[in-house]
Formats: sequence, C-alpha cells, structure tokens
Amino acid sequence: MKSSLLLRVAPWVAAVVLVIVLGMSGRHRQSSTGMDLDAFGRLPVVDRGRVKPMDTMARNALMVISGGRTTYVDPEQKTQPAIRWLLETMTSRLLENRSADEIKCFRIENDQLLSLLDLKRREGLRYSLVEIGPKIEELAEQAERARKQEPATRDLYQVKLLELAEHLQLAFMIAKLETPLLIPPTGADDSWTTLLGAARKAVAAGKEDPSVDDPAVRGIITMLRAYRDHDDAAFNTALADYSKVVRLRVGDPEVEKASFEASFNDLQPFYYGMYFYAAAFMLTAFGWVLAKGPSGLFCNRTAFALIAIALVIHTGALISRMYIQGRPPVTNLYSSAVFIGWGCVGLGLIVEAVMGMGVGNAVAAVTGGFSLIIANFLSSGGDTLEMMQAVLDTNFWLATHVTCVSLGYTATFVAGFLGVGYVLWGMGTPLMTRPGGKFLIKVTYGVICFATLLSFVGTVLGGIWADQSWGRFWGWDPKENGAILIVVWNALILHARWGGLVKDRGIALLAIVGNMVTAWSWFGTNQLGIGLRSYGFTSGVLMLLASYVASQLILIALGLVLIPRAASGPRRTG
Amino acid sequence: MSTTSVQKQGDAAAKGARSRTEPKPMTAGRILKAAFAPWASLKLTVTLLVFSMLLVFFGTLAQIDSGIWTVVDQYFWSVWVWVPMQLVVKFGQIFFNVSPTFQADPSMGFPLPGGFSLGWLLFFNLIAAHLVRFKWSLKRTGIILVHGGLILLLVGEFITRKYAVEGTMTIEEGGSSNFVIDNRKVELAVIDGSKSDVDEVTVIPQSRLRPKERIHSELLPFDVAVREFYPNSAVSEPEGWATDSANPATAGSGNRVKVVAAPVISGTASEQKVDLPSAYVSITGPKGEDLGTYLVSVWLSELSDSPDQVVTVNEHPYRLVLRLRRTYKPYTIQLKDFRHDVYVGTDTPKNYQSDVRLIDSSRGIDRETSIKMNEPMRHSGETFYQSSFLPGDRGTVLQVVKNPGWVLPYLSCILVAVGMLVQFGQHLYGFLSRRAAS
Repeated sequence: MKSSLLLRVAPWVAAVVLVIVLGMSGRHRQSSTGMDLDAFGRLPVVDRGRVKPMDTMARNALMVISGGRTTYVDPEQKTQPAIRWLLETMTSRLLENRSADEIKCFRIENDQLLSLLDLKRREGLRYSLVEIGPKIEELAEQAERARKQEPATRDLYQVKLLELAEHLQLAFMIAKLETPLLIPPTGADDSWTTLLGAARKAVAAGKEDPSVDDPAVRGIITMLRAYRDHDDAAFNTALADYSKVVRLRVGDPEVEKASFEASFNDLQPFYYGMYFYAAAFMLTAFGWVLAKGPSGLFCNRTAFALIAIALVIHTGALISRMYIQGRPPVTNLYSSAVFIGWGCVGLGLIVEAVMGMGVGNAVAAVTGGFSLIIANFLSSGGDTLEMMQAVLDTNFWLATHVTCVSLGYTATFVAGFLGVGYVLWGMGTPLMTRPGGKFLIKVTYGVICFATLLSFVGTVLGGIWADQSWGRFWGWDPKENGAILIVVWNALILHARWGGLVKDRGIALLAIVGNMVTAWSWFGTNQLGIGLRSYGFTSGVLMLLASYVASQLILIALGLVLIPRAASGPRRTG
Repeated sequence: MSTTSVQKQGDAAAKGARSRTEPKPMTAGRILKAAFAPWASLKLTVTLLVFSMLLVFFGTLAQIDSGIWTVVDQYFWSVWVWVPMQLVVKFGQIFFNVSPTFQADPSMGFPLPGGFSLGWLLFFNLIAAHLVRFKWSLKRTGIILVHGGLILLLVGEFITRKYAVEGTMTIEEGGSSNFVIDNRKVELAVIDGSKSDVDEVTVIPQSRLRPKERIHSELLPFDVAVREFYPNSAVSEPEGWATDSANPATAGSGNRVKVVAAPVISGTASEQKVDLPSAYVSITGPKGEDLGTYLVSVWLSELSDSPDQVVTVNEHPYRLVLRLRRTYKPYTIQLKDFRHDVYVGTDTPKNYQSDVRLIDSSRGIDRETSIKMNEPMRHSGETFYQSSFLPGDRGTVLQVVKNPGWVLPYLSCILVAVGMLVQFGQHLYGFLSRRAAS
C-alpha cells in the first residue's frame, strides 16, 4: 500500500524539516572573523559556588539586570550576545573602556523610579549607566533608606528601587572584577579567587608584582587589554595561552564540562522546545478541522512525530542538566517545571499511541509548551543550576521524593487536561461520539490511578526524607499540606467513581478541579510566606495563577451547562 | 454465610439504597453487618475526603498568622475548629487582588470537623467497608494492602503525637551539655544555689503561667502571681518606652529592660524562628510582704549575659529565671569541633558538621562520632540531628528526637505502593485484554 506507507513516512520527514526550520530561526551567527568570543565564553570561572563557563555567568547576570534578556542592542543597533556585555563591563573600570557605560541594559519599569532618575519612559524600558549616572548618589541614598524598612512593609517603589540597586551593584562587582572568581587554584590546597585575591596572595608570599608572576593573572589582563584596544589577534593569542593555563590548573574534566555547558546554553533546547510544542498543537488543531481525510491524518501524525522529536531533545536537555549539575533532575522550581513538562509530554504521547484521535497530542503539546513557558519565566531569576543548601544536598530519599512527587503532579495535570479535552470536545457535540467520550474517560481514569500512586508514594518519601534529616516525619507545613491535597483529591475521584457518585462528565470535571489543586500545591503555597505585599515578578505569577484558576472554573461551568449528564454510570469495577 | 449475599448487600450499601434481597433468617453476623452498613458507604468516604481537603486547605491558610504548632493543635488534632472568615479574605488578598484594608467581621466564620474527628470517622468508614462490602479474596489484595498501609500511617501519626519528644541541645565548642530544651515551652525556675555542690531547682510549667494566676506551693519559698504573660515578646529599650504605659516591673532587670507583646511566629514565615516568651510576675513573701514585680523573659535567660535576678526571702537568696523547658539526660555530649563549610566564594552552606564525644556512664559508653546533615547519631532510642549553629560558628544546635513510631511510615509506604501497583495493575491488565479482544 503506497499511500499508507506515504502516510507513515511523510509525517516524520515533515517533522524533521519543521524542527530544522524552527531551530534555525532566530539564531544569530557570530561573525567568524575577529575575536573568538565563543572560546572566551567557554572558559571556566566560579560564580555562586560552582564552576561554570564565562558564558553562563554572562547570560545569568545580563538576564537579571535586563529583566529576562540574554542579548543587548549596542549603540549601533546591532544585537550582541551576553558574553560581549560581560567583556565590555569587565573592561569598563580598571581599563577605562567607556563604551560599556553606553549599553542600555538596566531595566527600570517603575514610573516613580524613572522620575527620580529624570528618565523618560521608552520602549523596552532599558537604560544605560550614562543615563542613570547623574542621579546615582540620590539613588544610593534612597536605597539605603528603603533597606532599613522591614521587608514586609516596603511599597512597590521601594522594592523596585532596591532591585535596581542590586543590579547596579552586580554590574559594579563585575566591573571591578570582584565577581566571578576568575583565577583558578594553583594547587590542591588553593581555591578559586579574584584578581585582587591573587594579588593579595602574591603579596603575602613576598612577591612584588603579582601580574608578572601568575600566568593566569597575566593572561586575564592581557585578554581584557586586547579587548579594549580592539586588537583581535592579540586577544586570540592571549586567549589561547590562557586556555592552556586553565586546563593545566583545573584539569580536563572541568574544562570540558564548562565547554559543554556553554554549548548547551547556545543550543537553548528548552527555549526552542516551546516553539516545537506550539507548532505541534497547531498541527493537531488543523488535523481536527480537516477531520477524517488523509490530510487530517497527515497533520495529526506530523504533530505526533514533531512531539516525539521534541521529547527526544527535551530528554537530552534534561540529561545534560543532570550531567552539568551532577544531581537528580529536580532541584528547584525551574527544574521542576522542565521535568513536569517532560513527564506530561511523555504521558501524552502514550495516551496518543493508545487512543489516536489527536487528544494525546493536544495534551502533550499544551502541557509541554506551557511548562516550558513557565520555566522560561522562572529562569529570569538567575542561575537555574544553582548550588543547593546543605539540607537539600543530594540524598537518596530526597531525590526519589522529588522525582516521584513531580511525576505525580505531572499525571494529575495530564488527567486534568484530558478532562479539559473532554469538555471542549463534548461542547461541539457532533464531534464527540459516545464510545469515543467513554474511552477518553477510561484513559483519564487510568491516568488518575497513576497520579494517585505517584503522588502518595512521593509525599510519603518526602516524609521519610524529613525523618532522616531532622527527625520529624510530618509537620503540617504549607508545602507538605499542598502535596497531601493532591493525594486526597486523586483518591476522592477514585472513590467517587467506585461509589457511582460521578459518571463520565463528573470524572472529567473533577479532573479539571485537580488542575487547580495541583497549581495550588506547586505555586500557591509558596506565595503564602511572601505575604500580602508581594510585587514584581511574584505578582506576575499571581496574575497567571488567578487567570489560570478562572479559566478552569469557566471550563467546569461550561461542562456543567453544555454537556448532558450521561444516562448511565460506568460499571463498577470488580 | 454465602459470599453472594455479602456481595449484594455491599452493592446496595454502595448505592445508598435499601437492600432488595429476600428476607433471610437473622444471624449474629447479619445483624452486625446491618449495623455497620450505613458506615460503609462510599458517599461517606467522599464526604469525609472533601472535609479533609477543606481542613488541610484552611489549616494551611491559618499558618499565615499563627504558629505551626498552634495550627496543628487547632486544626489537625482537634474535634472541630472554627474557621474565621478573615482567612478567606486573606486568601483573596494574596491571590485575587482583594483590597488589603478589607476586614471581615471577626464574629463571622464557619465550623469544620477537626483532624481528630476526621481521622476516626475515616477509620470507622474503612473498617466498616471492609467488614460489610469486601469479600476477602485474592482479587482484593491490592485494596486491603493500600488500606492497611493507610491505617498504619494514621497509627504512626498517633504514636508520634502522643509519645514523640522533640527538643534541642545547644553546645558551645569545647563545652558540653546534659539537657535538652523544648523550644515550644518555657518554665519559671526558682533556683536555690546555697548548697555548694548542687542547685535545688523548682520549676513552674508554662501551663500555670497565665495572667491573674496565683501560684502557691509548699515547694516554693514565696507566692508567685502572674501579672502578664506574652507567648512572644520584643524588647524595647528605655528611650523607646512609651510614656503613657507604665513599666509593671518594680525590681530586678525589669528596671532596665521593658518588653512588649509581639505576634507569634507564623507557620508560613520564610525564616523559621522561635517565639521568645516573657512574663511579669509579682512575688509575695511567706508573711504576705510584697517583694516586688519582676520581669522574667527568655530574652534575659537565653539571649543575654545579664546575671540572674535574685529574690531574697529571710536573707536566703533565690534565683528567678524564665527559661526554655529543660529535660535532663543521663548522658553528656561534648562538642569537640563544629564545622560550617560553604561553597567557594559564597555564603551558601555546603556542609554542617559537629564532631562530638558521647559519654553515658550508666551504659558504659564513651565514644566519638560526627553528626552531619542527613547523617544523624542514634543513642538509646533518641536520634540527634544537626539542626543549627550559634552565631559565628561558636557552637552547634542539635535536634534531639525520640519517636517510638518512626518505623511505621516506612512500612506504610511500602504496603500502599505495593497495594496500588497490584490494584491498578489488575485494572490495566483488564483494560488491555478487553482492548485486545475487541
């Protein structure tokens, strides 16, 4: 059968083409001539307690300062990578490279703050040091006053003021070469240090001129000087020499790891994943509109293939993060979003493989896409591979707990989105066949069983970890309560079904409520501690949460009004 | 009895309808089942689960203002709880942009069954369901394992609540300690230090330290009248003393320091701190003479170097101290070294470690060991965890826990996990084989 073979192979070819096209778009290539900024970005440094490539350091710092960007626009209106911003900043004070002060990278969005600085609102809301400079003393004085205020009683202006002060501080630290730690250790009993630290050590050891003595110090200074003088050849030579020194001092594995991380940054797998999932969703929707014909089937299969490829990339990216960090996949809120997204996509694909019809595709694409959008949002806080506090340091129970609970959240979300699918599908009544709807609910039921198992085991493992760490199995704290709510909710759905209290529609609607319960446990409980006066980033999260809850409530209402109550309930299972 | 009739009754109970089976001769078992039937309903289960969720949810919200232990007592270990409407308002303020100045009427609220009631009701519901509805067969193994595991979990929580003892032991580097303090309770100690080798200590527990309480005892050299008791307090320096509120203290440290009531530390506070109680107590001598009103405070006893306050009765000095409740132990722990490693170039802690020497002459033990994060030391039914440290890394704070029920959650987890795997595995198998057949 030629046509069926075509329908089997062609979607994969189309998906690969899509991945390549989407993956290439938006990437800016660095010019091959000139300074080797790429190699400079791969150099290992220590920042916030871990060895990372210069590139990660640059991206994170710029991201924090500029409110979520890893590039900037130079005065000639060209988009430049974060690593160039880092070099500009590093040469700005000690080597008096004044062009750095012209870079518009500080995001200021508060009107009162802008008026304090005598600045006008402009598109992008990013401003340079030259623009902030005239009012910097006043800013410092205001910030000092705000700092004395109890955190809970600060108003929006003060919060934003302190944020800007912190961002300026970070830029100054980099400019004065006080962060990151640039100079690698010279021996086993030595540790990473700053230029100044290396100089102090040299003086303490009775040497007069540290820069002549330490090849690493000399290397850094030569590179920065060459950068300031726009001397490409000298920069590249110094870089090559310095790379050798670093390799000698920290060993090949660390150098390779840092270099790997820089490549990982450059690929941005999670960022492009959003586009893959979005495209897959559109394809699925097309498939539904085109319905029965071969073109509909083609769209649906292409979506499946695209999601499968995206999942492979997603998996690779997760493994890469584990390799870089040497930790289990979930270590903070960002990584939980990435991991839960991964689980949702995997489950969605399984559902699709069992059911067909595009429902699994839709669940995978929507949950995968949204979780990556959330992750992208969360990453603006800085390093997503941060070191963990001692109490969270890796431990068998903690690792299994976090993984299990995340998968439990995942399954609850997937069940919820299948419920959403049921409601949306059922509203356009001619599309949903009775057996089709029943089948969808059977799959939802299966996913809820899975969710109950994982969330329960995950929650109890969390208790066991707590027992191991501080001798208290259960403490009724907000995070624990959030986890137990999910378990109880899933158990409730199962019991309601077994008792015949709900039928197909009821299960779908309860599963949608599960979406809200999960959102509460994942994000809501975190917000309580911050208190009533939380602004800025967190208020963005709150808006998102509130509108998410509202959308789920609307879906439930629609389901109640528009879908007729099924005449007969499901058979009680034996 | 036949298994079929049990099955029918079970189905009827599940649907909440009257049994339609033919009248059968009454047996003891049948009567028992009829009595249990209403308890076995799945409607009851679902209702109880809904209430459990509401309780957990409001018990979480309550922690915005109240301490975690207060909430545990009020919500999770109570028969019923009155939930103030203000909690709902707070929820709206945080998540739905309700005006921060809006206040609910303090008298408004609603009752919820507490954790204690729900726990027992769920327990009866579960037992009844198994007695009435389920036949004990291989097919039911999964359900029985799951529910057995859950009961173990409840029992474990019960044992922990009733019998677990938690406290902390603070030891300075080079020093040693033989008592555990309870951060959640204070006691008023009256110390007779006149004997050269031992101190004679009489303590008044926190439960008696209520305003207007008058404490008279044979064991005490004087009467103590509690004027004020603050579960948490803050120190105000003399220059900050409000002119309109008089200082209750007439003697001792209270002449130098004044405290004011402070809100208790809430459960959602991002940094867990402990409450620091204070009290003003009036002392009356044996002949009814007024010996003054004293400020006693954890601020003075645990957090300052000021000397003890002395009350003199019949030319005999007694020290008066409000301190965190102490329990003396038959062993001594000596801190040889405390280590606090950080990630290079940051303040992020990487490792906390206490190198200690444990001396228990009653058991003939004298050994050295180290206590780290996630690596506790166990001794005579107690477990010692690395919990915190003194400022400037001068010493360590160990969490000391005795919990006879600690093993139950582990068993429960295994039982429930295996049970669910069996149960859902059966479902999945049935589902897949029906699909294969069609």
